[in-house]
Amino acid sequence: MSLATAAAGTAPEKSVTAGVRSALESVFDAVAATRADTAQLLARVAEEGRRPATVDLAALRPGLHLRLGRHELVSGVGFVAAPGLLSDVPAWLEWWQSDADGGVRPLLLDLDPAQSAYADYTHWDWFALPRDTGERAVAGPYVDYLCSDEYSLTLSAPVQMEGRFAGVAAADVYLRHFEAAVLPMLRGLPGPAHLVNARGRVTASADPAHLAGSLTKGPDFAAVLERARPVRFRGLRLVPCPDVPLVLVISLAQS
Amino acid sequence: MKQQQINGGARRAVFTPVDNRARVDAVVRRIGDAIELGLLAEGEQLPGESELAGQLGVSTVTLREALMALRQQGLVTTRRGRGGGSFVSSPEAPGAERLRVRLRGWSTEELRDLGDHWAALSGTAARLAAERTEPDDLVQLRRTAEELTHAADTAARSRIYGRFHVELAAAAQSARLTREQVALQTEIGAVLCLVLGDDEYREEVADRHRSVISAVQDGIQETARRLAERCVQESTARLVALRLTL
Repeated sequence: MSLATAAAGTAPEKSVTAGVRSALESVFDAVAATRADTAQLLARVAEEGRRPATVDLAALRPGLHLRLGRHELVSGVGFVAAPGLLSDVPAWLEWWQSDADGGVRPLLLDLDPAQSAYADYTHWDWFALPRDTGERAVAGPYVDYLCSDEYSLTLSAPVQMEGRFAGVAAADVYLRHFEAAVLPMLRGLPGPAHLVNARGRVTASADPAHLAGSLTKGPDFAAVLERARPVRFRGLRLVPCPDVPLVLVISLAQS
Repeated sequence: MKQQQINGGARRAVFTPVDNRARVDAVVRRIGDAIELGLLAEGEQLPGESELAGQLGVSTVTLREALMALRQQGLVTTRRGRGGGSFVSSPEAPGAERLRVRLRGWSTEELRDLGDHWAALSGTAARLAAERTEPDDLVQLRRTAEELTHAADTAARSRIYGRFHVELAAAAQSARLTREQVALQTEIGAVLCLVLGDDEYREEVADRHRSVISAVQDGIQETARRLAERCVQESTARLVALRLTL
């Protein structure tokens, strides 16, 4: 792959990547607050010399409800326990979602492997990435047939208990909401523009030739994010967003 | 006038009376599947008749007929008086026998139609997945194809089979196709146990799934579609053949 280094970002595209970053950072704020609440709760339980149980996690609810109400982009939020963490159940999601009437409701899943083909959630990116890297992560866009049946992004971060991985704090953003938040910015750019994740999956688009969910093939977007500066690739200008794993792709006018 | 001719057949279908028998069958299937899949547990009390009818969107008369059929299948017992109501019961008869009773509730025409719907969903999902896939999308499908070759009991086989098709729709990046596929698997998943009990056929299905994955991975859209359709058509054909022996 030949990635010609392009001139440093121009002002309009910089303002778009900064806007995308700030939209996702507001969601990461909800994740971080959930992570802090959970870590504190688990530490308290550990001090009492016992293992946590589902009943302990109920203490997270006021904070989760608050975040669902407060963060416009967040449609689901919670803590997903690592299997074996809790003393009373093998696996658990303390997960709350906004419903259509503006209320909140818990997600109740059948997590019995003898009954459900979807009982094991540990291979989903939103769980596996923070577990394996120790870092926060953006999973998706993907069809979330486990929790919401929506095309979504899930932002997550690892939670630890006594120095060991205990699960993930996470928040769901439905793609249609994310697109509504960033589309005005994308449309303000001079050329057709879209956003892709590190794998080239279109995450939001103001370019009819590259719709959300499709793949933009060719560039190594992970490498673009790694290098953290704009590059040109054939007829495309690729501008990595700061701090979040999305790349702004602008089609350059044919000349 | 022309407009009316074009729409005539479809319009007539809209305004035909809703078949009560079909509604009873639908309720019987829904509750029967839930019991079969363990979503409703042994001994669990069903909501009261009017509440349940309301939740399912059917009349109480329809619900009563459905409960009667479920009692005949031994899936529900009803106790009168204080503390009475309808309770889930897992009868002594082996699951296969109950499933055969349920399969008998489908006409071959209904099974054919369901197969057409399923093939449309999975075929399109496979084509779109081939267009939109990147290697990481295939990890779950591979795991599912592998699990199918190792699943011992037939209930697990049918659950994993259904999951493959749901994951295929998710790989197509379509929430709508995925929701439709989940609904379809809820309807047909349990009776698929009847054909997946055959180890040879289970192996054939796993092979078919692997070949769908290969076509998706290679981005050969029309091949992926055709292979997914064939997989579904073969399963439906087996269900129809079995239905005709009952």
